[in-house]
This record gives sequence, C-alpha cells and structure tokens, in this order.
Amino acid sequence: MKKKLMKWLNVGLVSVLLVSMLAGCGKKSDEGSETKSDGGKGETVKIGVLVADVSSENAMAFSAYYNDYVAKEYNVEFQFTDALEDAASEKAAIEKFASQGCQGIISMSSSDRALQIETCEEYEVYYAVATGMLDDAQYEEYKSNEFFVGQIGASMTAEYETGLDMAKYFVEKGAKKVAIYGAFIPNPMHVYRTAGVLAGLGCTYGGASDQEGIAGQIFGDQGVDLSKVAGDVEVVAYFQGYGDTTADEFNAASQAAPDAFISVGMGTTFFAQQLNTAEIPFGDIDSFTSSNSEAMKNGKLEYIAAVYGSSIGPVFAVMLDAINGNVIRDEEGNALSINQAYAVATNGDEFDEYFLKDNSDSPIFDKETLDAIVSDTANFEDVKSLVEAH
Amino acid sequence: MRLIKYCQGNLKGTSKAMGNKVIFRKCIGTLAIPVIAGLILGVICLVNGKAMIGNRTSFNNFVIYAAIIMITTIALSINLNSGRFDFSLGAMAILSSGVAAKVTYSVLSGGKYSAALMLGLSLAAGILLGLISGLIYIILRLPPIISSLGVTLIYEGILYTMTGGSYIMGEVQNTSMAKVSGSWIPAFIIIVVVLITMIILFDHTKFGYEYNALKSGQKVAVNTGIREIPNALICYAVCGGLMGIVGFLNTVRNANINGGQLGFGSISIMFTAFLPMFIGSYIGRYSNEKFGYLLAAICMSMLNSTFAVFANTVNASMQSIINAVLLVVFLVYLNNEHLLKKGVKQ
Repeated sequence: MKKKLMKWLNVGLVSVLLVSMLAGCGKKSDEGSETKSDGGKGETVKIGVLVADVSSENAMAFSAYYNDYVAKEYNVEFQFTDALEDAASEKAAIEKFASQGCQGIISMSSSDRALQIETCEEYEVYYAVATGMLDDAQYEEYKSNEFFVGQIGASMTAEYETGLDMAKYFVEKGAKKVAIYGAFIPNPMHVYRTAGVLAGLGCTYGGASDQEGIAGQIFGDQGVDLSKVAGDVEVVAYFQGYGDTTADEFNAASQAAPDAFISVGMGTTFFAQQLNTAEIPFGDIDSFTSSNSEAMKNGKLEYIAAVYGSSIGPVFAVMLDAINGNVIRDEEGNALSINQAYAVATNGDEFDEYFLKDNSDSPIFDKETLDAIVSDTANFEDVKSLVEAH
Repeated sequence: MRLIKYCQGNLKGTSKAMGNKVIFRKCIGTLAIPVIAGLILGVICLVNGKAMIGNRTSFNNFVIYAAIIMITTIALSINLNSGRFDFSLGAMAILSSGVAAKVTYSVLSGGKYSAALMLGLSLAAGILLGLISGLIYIILRLPPIISSLGVTLIYEGILYTMTGGSYIMGEVQNTSMAKVSGSWIPAFIIIVVVLITMIILFDHTKFGYEYNALKSGQKVAVNTGIREIPNALICYAVCGGLMGIVGFLNTVRNANINGGQLGFGSISIMFTAFLPMFIGSYIGRYSNEKFGYLLAAICMSMLNSTFAVFANTVNASMQSIINAVLLVVFLVYLNNEHLLKKGVKQ
C-alpha cells in the first residue's frame, strides 16, 4: 500500500515538474518574442560592449558616452567587458552577454573579429564594429551575414593615410631621426597606420613603398624589423605593445634623442609625461581628451589625429535599429561599411574645436542628431550622410 | 731589552703590512666585479661607436634603475637570507603605490608636492602590507613560500578591484612626478638614505644583532632568549616599506601603475633582484653586504643602459635570455668556487 502511494506520489511530482518546465519554456518563448517585436521600445534593450582597452582616456570617453549619455537618453543598458586580451576571451564574453540577454554586441576589440561574428551568429545576437574595421577579405566573407549589422570606423586605407599624413608633418618640420611606437601590432589598424608612417617618412620597408606591400610585410613580421627600413629619415628606435619591458624600450628610444616620437596609438596615454619631460616632440592617433589637450597646449604633443567620445554614436543607432527590427543594409543588401575619418589638430585652438564641442552633457552625436537615424524607416543613405557630415 | 724592542718593531711592521694587504684585498674584492663589468660593457659600446650613458636622460634612467634594483635586492635578501622566500614583494610594491597614488590624487589633485606625499604614503602602505604579510605567515604557520603566494594573489586582487583592471595613469601623471623622473637627484638621495638606514638597522642595532644571530643559527639564537616572532615581523615590515619605495620609483619610471596584474603578474618585479642579490652577497664577503647590493645594482644598471644602446638589435626577449644566462653562469661559479680555488693552489 505504502509502495503504491509512493509510486503515485512520484508520478504526480514528475508530472508537476514537467508541466511547470513546459510552462516555463512557453513563458520564456513569449517573452523572447515580445522583446524582439518590441525592439526595446517597451523593455530595456541590453547591449554588450567588447573592450580591449579599459585604461586610455579614449576608452573612458567611449564608455562615458554610452553609459552617461546614451543610456540615459534611450531605453538601453550597456554591459562592458574587462580588458579582453585574446580571441578566446572575446568569444567567452559574447557567450556571457548572450546568456545575460544582450540582444546586440558592439565591438571595440579586434583580436579575432571573424570569430566574434561567428559567435554572435551562433547565439543569434546582432554584431557591429565601433572602432577599426574588418580587413577587406573578412568583410567580403561576412558582409551578408544576417547578424552582422555593420562597421562604422576608419577604413584600412584611411588608417594608412592618417599615419602617412602624421609622418609627413614631422618630416616637413625637419625631423631627421624618429622613434616609432607601433602600439598593438598585429592589430590591423595599427599595422596600416605604421605602414603609413613609414611611407610618410619616405622610407621603404623590405623594398616596398606602397600600402599593401608595407602592411603585408609588417603583418608577416608581426612588427617592424628595423633592418628592413631604408630611407633618408633614420628610424632610431621602434617598439610596440605594453608590458614589463616597455619602460626599458621607451627609455632606449628617448635616449636615442629622436627629433620626433611618432605613435600609432595610445602613445599619449602611456608616454606623454616622459616625452614632455624629455622635451621630445610627439604625434599620436588617439582621441580628443583633457590630458591630450594639456599635452598639446603645455607639452610637446604637436600632432594628433583623433576621434571624439561620441563618434561611436552612429554605430549604436544602427544597432538599436537592428534590434528594433530595422536591419539597415547598403545598396547591395550587405552589412554597412562606412568610413569615419579622423580629425587632425596641430595646435590648441584646433584641438579645442573638437574637444570642447564634444562632452558627456552635449556630445556631437547627441540624441537629436542620432534620432535622425534611430527609426523604423532609416536607411543606408541616412546613416552615411550623417556620419560623413560629422 | 733591545731585542724585545726590535721584536716589537718587527711585529708592528708585519701587522701593518698584513693590515695593508687585507685592506688592499678587500678593495680589490669589492670593486672587481663592478669595474670589470663597466670596462667590458663600456668597450662593447665604444667598439660600436656608442656611449653607454650618452646623455642626461640616460644618466637619469641609470640612477633611477639602480635605485629600484638596489632596494628590491635588499628587500629580497632580508627574508631570503633567513630562509623565508617571499613571493609577495612585487604585489606589495604595486598595491602600496596604487593606494598611495589614489590617496595622493584625492588630496592634492596632482598639484605641488604630489611626489613627496606619494612617496611617504607608499612607504607607510608598504610597511602596513609587509606587516600583514608577516602576520599571515606567523598566524597560519604555513611555509613562507606558500603563505607569500596567497598574499600575492590577495594583494593583486585588491589592486584589480580598486582599479577595475585598468592602469592608474591620471593620478600619477603630473608636474611633481615628472620632476622626479626628469632628474637623477631624487633617486640618488633615496639610494643614500635607504643604504645608510639599512646599514644602521641591520648592523648597529639590537634588532640587527638578533636578526644576524637568527640568520646564523635559529635554534641556538632562540635558546639564548632571542624572540623570533617580533624579529620576523619587523623584517616583513621593513621589506614592505622598501617595496613601497620601489613601487613609487617604478611609478616614476613608468608614469603609470598596472592595475590588471592578476595571477602572479607582479612576481617579475621581484625576479629582477636575483642576479644582483647573488652578486651583492659575493661582494659582501669583502665589504658590507648592503654596500655590495648597491654595487651589484650599479652593475645591473650598466647592463640595462647597454641594452638600451643596442635596443634595436638586442630585443627584450634576447635581453631576458642574457640576464638568465648571466645568473646561471654566476651561480655555477659560486657553487664551484672551492674547486677553482683548490685547482689554483695545486
């Protein structure tokens, strides 16, 4: 009798569990479809942001813009990663974001963007690139992926030309000896910038003097091999990355007494104080921040090609559109790829033009500006013209 | 009487000659390694048409690096000579300087005297962290190598939590800090003060006598009434204080503090001191051990300056290999010294 009762109790319990599980699944499915169809208008939209750099003012300006401005103006919540160091950590971060209900991933980390897109596809979350761009071959491969919303940033050619212009500036000022900081090569944007710098100095690299010829070799060497550099301007020191040996490498570069220190990224963040102290003129591709303003007005920063904090506004807008159901495509039906040029400043006044205009209370890409492309009817031309106008 | 006087005179002369010989031997023993190292490295630079220390910037870097190495070496040797391997030295340096940087910035906002305040706070925070590390070792009664590994992880974790894994930059990049990095004088003053303080503390105080007694024979020393625990605690506190100064000097040199050094990332700070510790101990046979560490640090700084001269041909990984090879060669020499002496005598 007791056994029978236990048997029925077990059956009853299992049934209750099964019913509640099914009910739970049904509810989740409903919720999911509600979120998708609502597209964030009713519920808070969650967007994950992949970040490789958490320290620079540039990175802080980006996160401040999203957290302190965009999140308040739109019904959206941003979740940022810690500093991602490799492809595995990027993949793990996307998986974590997807499990936390993020509907879109904005990438500011570039260890392996192909893997990022594939992981987003696997978890059915939208993906967009906010800093840098995929190289041409990768873009061709993934441009038709339904979860790849697009990329708004400097194209590789724009990166190359930015480096080229910066180097030319110092050559025209009479630099005969320079030190180069290659930032985080093999990051593609840093490779192309460095290639541009070498070309701008009038140097050849392994005999090559064109964009692809130099960049291809730098990719192959995973850095710049000074024995392959030839030209009238002497490159007295080259180093890249940041770690235990950087202080020694920087000291070696400054002891070589270069006429200019040319950095292709984060040089102002890491070395501005030492360069100012050693009185070495320097240039960088970074951002319009208060410390760079100080270095330009009272220090030795002479050239900066930069983006401003809210320059990542349009990529947010197209991501929100996609989550809301309006996945914007270019004329050929592919993911967006829009070039966003760098602004250049060579003195305090030029610097202030961008720096003072763009702050967390009234950014250049403010709500009013972004609303032009945050809509169910926004299209490629709208986004392109807005980006190019700023 | 005459004979006695004659004998006394002769003995006096002999002992004077002996004394001169000992002093000469000590001078040679003390200066041999730095002079030979300086000559070899200098010649290498000259042959290649370069100078080891070519300008003011390189001299500033030379003195600051020597200060960092000397103080780290003294800190490492204090506990290691007593049989306590302390892995947490690097973590103490980064955490104490990190805390000091944050507090200094909140008080002075990067203004005047920021460097002086940060140095003081870094020293105080280092002493506190050293004391905590010592207490953990004493209370848990774990082997020091194990407890120090735990302490390293805890300190690295605290700094990571404080900074979110990012670099501390804005707080340490100001005119006051730039003045310290742009001159050799502050680092030189720190070297002199630390060296004199350490020589007095370890060679001319009751604590120092007890430390040396414990180092030579712990059981015998304890049986004579020397209290081991307070002595160990003071050692940890002194190490912490020294690493606080190292943290400050590293901040001056790098213009930032890496807050993301998890998983024993800070240990490399301590490992820079191994080769100079062995060299310093060797020099210490002929003079004061702490002075030996200074000379060893100068040798390492000369090597570092030479690497800087050839940075375009000898990259960072090659430099690490050269350092490691030098360490191994020196250890091989130390371990086989008696055989070499035997061979020479025969």
